[in-house]
Amino acid sequence: MDWTPPATGGARGRTALLLADDLFFTMWDTTHAGLPYLHPSRATLGLAGALIGELVLRDRLTVEGEHLRVIDTRRVHENVADGALASIMASPRHTAVRTWLEYLAKNAVKNVTGRLIAARLLTREKPTLLGRERFRYTQFTKAMWPSTRLRLDLDERAPMTVQDMLLAALVDACDLMRVVIEDPADRPAAAAYLTALLKERMPQPLKDLVGGVRAVVGDSVLTYR
Amino acid sequence: MRTTPSTSHSSRHDPIAGALAADRLNARAIIFFTMSAAAPLTVVAGLVPTAYAVTGSTVLPAAFLIMGVVLAAFSTGYVAMARHMPSAGALYTYISRGLGRPAGVGAAWVALIAYNCMQTGLYGAVGSALTPMLYRWFGISPPWWLIALAAWALVAVLGVMRVGVNSRVLAILLVAEVTAILVLDVTDLFHPAADMAVEMLSPAVALTSPGLGPSLMIAAVGFVGFESAATFSEESREPGRTVPRATYATVAIIAGLYALSAWAMAVAIGPGAIVETARRDGARTIFVLAAGHWSSLMVDIVQVLFVTGLVAAKVAFHGATARYAFALGRERLLPAAFGRTRPRSGAPLVGSIAQSVLGLAVIVTYAVAGLDPLVDLFYFVGTAGGFGVLLLIFVTSIAVIYYFARHAHGQDLRQRLIRLTPAAMAAGALATIMWLISSNFAALLGVPQDHWLVTFVPQLYVTVAALGVQYGVFLRWLQPNMYARIGMGAKAALPSTPLN
Repeated sequence: MDWTPPATGGARGRTALLLADDLFFTMWDTTHAGLPYLHPSRATLGLAGALIGELVLRDRLTVEGEHLRVIDTRRVHENVADGALASIMASPRHTAVRTWLEYLAKNAVKNVTGRLIAARLLTREKPTLLGRERFRYTQFTKAMWPSTRLRLDLDERAPMTVQDMLLAALVDACDLMRVVIEDPADRPAAAAYLTALLKERMPQPLKDLVGGVRAVVGDSVLTYR
Repeated sequence: MRTTPSTSHSSRHDPIAGALAADRLNARAIIFFTMSAAAPLTVVAGLVPTAYAVTGSTVLPAAFLIMGVVLAAFSTGYVAMARHMPSAGALYTYISRGLGRPAGVGAAWVALIAYNCMQTGLYGAVGSALTPMLYRWFGISPPWWLIALAAWALVAVLGVMRVGVNSRVLAILLVAEVTAILVLDVTDLFHPAADMAVEMLSPAVALTSPGLGPSLMIAAVGFVGFESAATFSEESREPGRTVPRATYATVAIIAGLYALSAWAMAVAIGPGAIVETARRDGARTIFVLAAGHWSSLMVDIVQVLFVTGLVAAKVAFHGATARYAFALGRERLLPAAFGRTRPRSGAPLVGSIAQSVLGLAVIVTYAVAGLDPLVDLFYFVGTAGGFGVLLLIFVTSIAVIYYFARHAHGQDLRQRLIRLTPAAMAAGALATIMWLISSNFAALLGVPQDHWLVTFVPQLYVTVAALGVQYGVFLRWLQPNMYARIGMGAKAALPSTPLN
């Protein structure tokens, strides 16, 4: 496809929540089932990628190849991100992105939903005896906005903020783009646009992070037991 | 630098390693995973009598022992190399690293055919095994292909839904299967038809027998799955110790259990009569034997275990082959669509559907052609698959030697020679075994020397391997990025390419 990606900007992206919150609303069916659209093991890895992404976007971490490095030790004044940063700083011998994705995935749902519940954007239904924990939106437009925004931007080939590019890339890494772009006929063009956009505009540390998420999500398919 | 938490020692002082270690597997768990897919009762009740019937040879028990020793020697180099692999995946990843990526592509494609042969072959076993049981229990005798199609539908749906058989259920089934096998073996040994025929366990006797090549091939089919222990490397608590322990234990258990069972069966029937009896009774052989000493309830229980084991093996094999196609899709050695999953379940969707389509085509073809499900499908196609896997193990044994010849990993020449000696002996033994099998392929399949199958199977693998190597060379010139990621599996998405 012969075209030049537009400059980053992204009017719609300026209304974004935190990255992991946006990813949660994209991954979870908070209107009906209250469950993730994808297998829970992969949903948690995607959220962990978003939590690391939040720290990269705020210039606390950088990702170089398969490893991450702390570049600024100051807090970001948000509990979940500060908790993740504190853990990473406390264990300097662990630098593999994979290790941190697996570690942060353990509490990713609890941390991200806790943050959304505190912000009054989400409610948690108590699990029934054999059922799973379900989450419901409290404000429909806010819950729908991340996936709607991605769909509009990808369909219209609109400029995107770096955070929204990362959001789209994480959705794709979790193999969830078909939930965002519902019409199969629109998917090839959207995928081509996203590929070109990421290649041209995505900062290298974020590209490396997405590669790490894609690999660990893929491995979770291979090592299924 | 690898920072994957690995040792229990460090986990005591390291909260990150400690938290992640809780989810990791110990050797016993890995043995259970590899053995469950190996389906011991399927081998003992299905493969062993069919092997006696088709080859007409009685060296099968010794062949299991010989193969066990050779594969244990092979494993010394194999598990040592696994420690240095960025992605300890299937055998082709070792071949990529040891012999170069073009060889890896050829191996990947050969493996795809081999594993698909083995998984479609199992439909023949399901069909033929259930037919007499349904008659006995319900008085109905549907054609084998109808039963195979029912199993096919179940496997196809479970595959797409990614409903694996729960690992606890698998473990219980496995323990029950092994217990049943041991009980029947002991019963057989206490009721010999003539003498104990201990010469059947003697490798020295087997080495001079003309039936050795085909019997070794069949023994190798029984071992398929042992190589998968190394793929749990990243998920194991202490990869350096857990994986070798699990691999050697799996080889030892398989060799011991199958050699004992094949021998016990022959002792109870009589070495002179085992071939004729197996030809007459087929997969019912061990149940006919059991009925002579045990109540019908016990025979029913073993038959139920045989069926549940077969279905569990079918589901496991389907999932494993679909995931294999997924890894190749991620590396783009198959179309990228194979690297996609079904969101909700995370099932490797295209790989799963492709296998189901292939399984359906094979069942329908065999049904229309009126071929025998046990011999023509389970045995021929399964053995053809096993031949492919053995070929891969042989090439991997050479890849291991090449790899350690080029990478010292801080060891001096003497240490490297000590490490490589068993691996080299295994490679030599595997070369001899491949030659024995190839020169006796007609006897292995139980067909005349001029039968088209005798040349078709080896030629198919050689042709596919050659095409794979050519494709690999083509990628080196035209798609260097893709080329660099061959053998990485799902890690093909990683930013760096640690293969060299």
